[in-house]
Amino acid sequence: MNRLRHFLKTWLLLELLSGLWLTFRRMFKPKFTIHVPEEKTPQGPRFRGLHAQRRYPNGKERCIACKLCEAVCPALAITIDIAEREDGSRRTTRYDVDLSKCIYCGLCMESCPVDSIVLTRIYEYHGEQHSDLCFTKDMLLAIGDHYEAQIAKNLEEDAPYR
Amino acid sequence: MSENAIDKSGWLNLEINGKPVQMPPGSTVMDAAQTLKVFIPHFCYHKKLSIAASCRMCLVQVEKIPKPVPACATPVSEGMKVWTRSEMALAAQQSVMEFLLINHPLDCPVCDQGGECMLQDAAVGYGKGSSQFQEVKRVVLGKDLGPLVSAVEMSRCIQCTRCVRFSDEIGGQMELGMIRRGDRAEIVPFVGETVESELSGNMIDLCPVGALTSKPFRYQARNWELSRRKSVSPHDALGANLIVQLKRNQVVRVQPFENEAINECWLSDRDRFSYEALNSESRLMRPLVKKDGVLIETDWQEALPLAAARLKNIVERDGGEALGVLISPHATLEEATLMSRLAWTLGCDNIDYRLRQQDFSNTSKDAHVPWLGMPIADVSQLKAALFIGSFLRQDQPLLTARVRQAARHGAAISSLHSVRADWHLPLAHENVVPPSQLAAALAALVVAAHREAKVAQALPKVFDEVTPLENDVAIVRSLMNAPERTTIFLGSFAQQHEHAVLLHALTQRLADYTGTTLAVLPEAANSVGLALINAQPQKGGLNARTMLEKPRKAYVLLHTEAPFDIAQGGTALTALRQADFVLSLSPFRPADEGVLPDVVLPDIVLPIAPFTETSGTFINMEGRVQSFYGVAPPLGETRPGWQVIVALARLLEQPFAETTPEVVRASCLPSADSIAARLSNRIDTALQALPKAAAKETVERVAGVPIYHADPLVRRAPSLQRTALAAPPRVMMNAALATRLNLVKGGAVRIRQSEENDAVTVVLSWVCDETLPADTVRFDMAHPLTAGFDVCGEFHLEAAP
Repeated sequence: MNRLRHFLKTWLLLELLSGLWLTFRRMFKPKFTIHVPEEKTPQGPRFRGLHAQRRYPNGKERCIACKLCEAVCPALAITIDIAEREDGSRRTTRYDVDLSKCIYCGLCMESCPVDSIVLTRIYEYHGEQHSDLCFTKDMLLAIGDHYEAQIAKNLEEDAPYR
Repeated sequence: MSENAIDKSGWLNLEINGKPVQMPPGSTVMDAAQTLKVFIPHFCYHKKLSIAASCRMCLVQVEKIPKPVPACATPVSEGMKVWTRSEMALAAQQSVMEFLLINHPLDCPVCDQGGECMLQDAAVGYGKGSSQFQEVKRVVLGKDLGPLVSAVEMSRCIQCTRCVRFSDEIGGQMELGMIRRGDRAEIVPFVGETVESELSGNMIDLCPVGALTSKPFRYQARNWELSRRKSVSPHDALGANLIVQLKRNQVVRVQPFENEAINECWLSDRDRFSYEALNSESRLMRPLVKKDGVLIETDWQEALPLAAARLKNIVERDGGEALGVLISPHATLEEATLMSRLAWTLGCDNIDYRLRQQDFSNTSKDAHVPWLGMPIADVSQLKAALFIGSFLRQDQPLLTARVRQAARHGAAISSLHSVRADWHLPLAHENVVPPSQLAAALAALVVAAHREAKVAQALPKVFDEVTPLENDVAIVRSLMNAPERTTIFLGSFAQQHEHAVLLHALTQRLADYTGTTLAVLPEAANSVGLALINAQPQKGGLNARTMLEKPRKAYVLLHTEAPFDIAQGGTALTALRQADFVLSLSPFRPADEGVLPDVVLPDIVLPIAPFTETSGTFINMEGRVQSFYGVAPPLGETRPGWQVIVALARLLEQPFAETTPEVVRASCLPSADSIAARLSNRIDTALQALPKAAAKETVERVAGVPIYHADPLVRRAPSLQRTALAAPPRVMMNAALATRLNLVKGGAVRIRQSEENDAVTVVLSWVCDETLPADTVRFDMAHPLTAGFDVCGEFHLEAAP
């Protein structure tokens, strides 16, 4: 009896048909497909995309060159040089992020004592050469300046959980 | 020493955390814990400093004592039971930690101490997770402690007073103190003063928090990104052990490598901060060749064959004796050995490293090598000592700290010199005489010792007219009455004196009569090593002085900077100026015109590596052989000195077999037995007649080598050059002489070495110093302003308009 049932299942393609039946039913249900780039996936406040350096509202750089992000970075993607400014403050003279090394773990952001280095929601960027993906301090600050409102909102939303 | 060899009778038995330990009476619980390797957190306790017990971090529980007690200040007793991790001890430590953090700012991310901070470590290991303090933290204003120690963030200070105790106990001079009480207490220097000690850098290491940090290192790097490599200090003959710290192959900091036998846990400031010269702009990256009177950068392919060809020309034309080789006593053993061998194969015996010596009349048959005569560590245990002509503090800063330690334990330290000793230690006796009278004053000591020791053998005729004074007898008695460990030190001024050999012979006689040992304080990092490898004339060649007085056709300078490193500065300039060819092997550009107006430019400068970039060996004052490897790759096109000399030898068709640092070292290093056999301070030169007193109204000069102008490295270290000790030399004399010269207060003195019109003339400011003997002026050598003078010879001083 079992052998007969198995024989029929195999040769009448019942399993295939049940699969196709599922496909047929899906055709009349709402679609999940998102039309990138016209449409975007929803992002949480903790989304870890492109890096940015922030400033205080008065325009002063936040980064104090403590080098914790450089130390914590598991991919050694961050390179920092520091010097004392004329006003005696401790600032970076170089802050490079090599995006081709970065694994977007967000540890730099977590280690930062002044919320200077952050990961933004930007994920669409590219480079034709390796050097295009080495972001310097000026570039990171420019990103920060441009997206400050969004970054501040992200941090505020995430604050209760940090 | 094995543990069995110590006599432990009378020692006390105690227990720490259940582990038994025996300690001698008088030791503390902290000592016992360290013997057992039990860590008790602490801030104010330091093994080399006195006990303050002010931080209270080392509180421990002791049986039968109701309250926790500080481990660093509690003496051990028989049957004591101590717990360092009991509930009571932990609670006490946590509370102390919370109190210490009340006023400590939370600026660890910008603090240079972050990552190597005792307070950070203790907060993690022994503190509570959070603070109950809600009020406003106190703020302490920063202080200016000079160019080496940064005290900008004094709010970080936890009042452990380590720096205060260091300046008083090790530095010998209380330069910091604590004012006010409670939470208003703060560490301050004296009003209007900075820290000027030559050991001030140690305060940076001592400070457990980030209150005192290194100014040159400020915001340069974080400690976790530094690679640490061992090296040896190339400055004084102590050979302090260093940890050189590099970031991306660049030296950014130097710290002491603890070695009880040499530098303990200290470093002098020049050992610590001279690294700045290694990365300075004056470092030479490529060979220089003189064209039309101007030095032009070129490459090795051009410079090295040119140097070899010109040397060869001169040797073929005028013979090897037309060459003079001046080796700096800061050169490594390998460089000096290969250079001497090369010179000898070229038929040149005019080799010398004794650049500041003036008296070469030592005719001793055996080539003895002057040295300290005892291990460096024994200096701390001296019971009495006499220093003859020693600028101790500026020549051997860390040895001075050891002498100071001996003096603190009651040693009678005396000085015979031409200036008042400024060593910041209590002197038992002092005799200050004009330089020409130094031998006579020493002879008086010899006569006094002869009488006191009741020597049967009569004194030679030389001493006939010498009568010792009361002070001489007192000095001799202080040496003879001390139970043991007494030493007479022959300092740099005595060794560089015009009558150095006579002074040495007299000192030897004094040492024999008083039954003390004789120690010679060598001048530079490798003075002993270069004497051991005979980097001096072997077959009647010219010595450092005569090869300049009888000008040669060509000179080779190894690490030597004329005229700064040479006592006969004026003679050296004349000799080098007339030479057909001057080849300089140096890590630095020749001193530029701004430094010395009529500096002699060498014809070719080959860039060789400083001590951090080459392997090498120094032999220090106690005869200890210290080899080291290069800690950084050579900068630019710089090459290790030994490689350059080997290449030069090959081009001169006198090739050496040595090609690797190990082989070079093996072939250069004398065996341990031969070193031990040759180290001796005996000289058997016959006593010469005592020099006559200088003619009346002749002005005599005393000159030391300023601590931060002693070698090419320190001369180029910017932070050291900003210190008070590196200030331009001033002419010091007593008021009587100033009146005779018609000098006005705040005016200047014009100094000339001869009456001739074209003689070198320098105008220096003058100060009145009543401690100087009559008709004696002091202005130091080796500074750009004074390097152009010969140290000896006559001087003409007059008031400058």
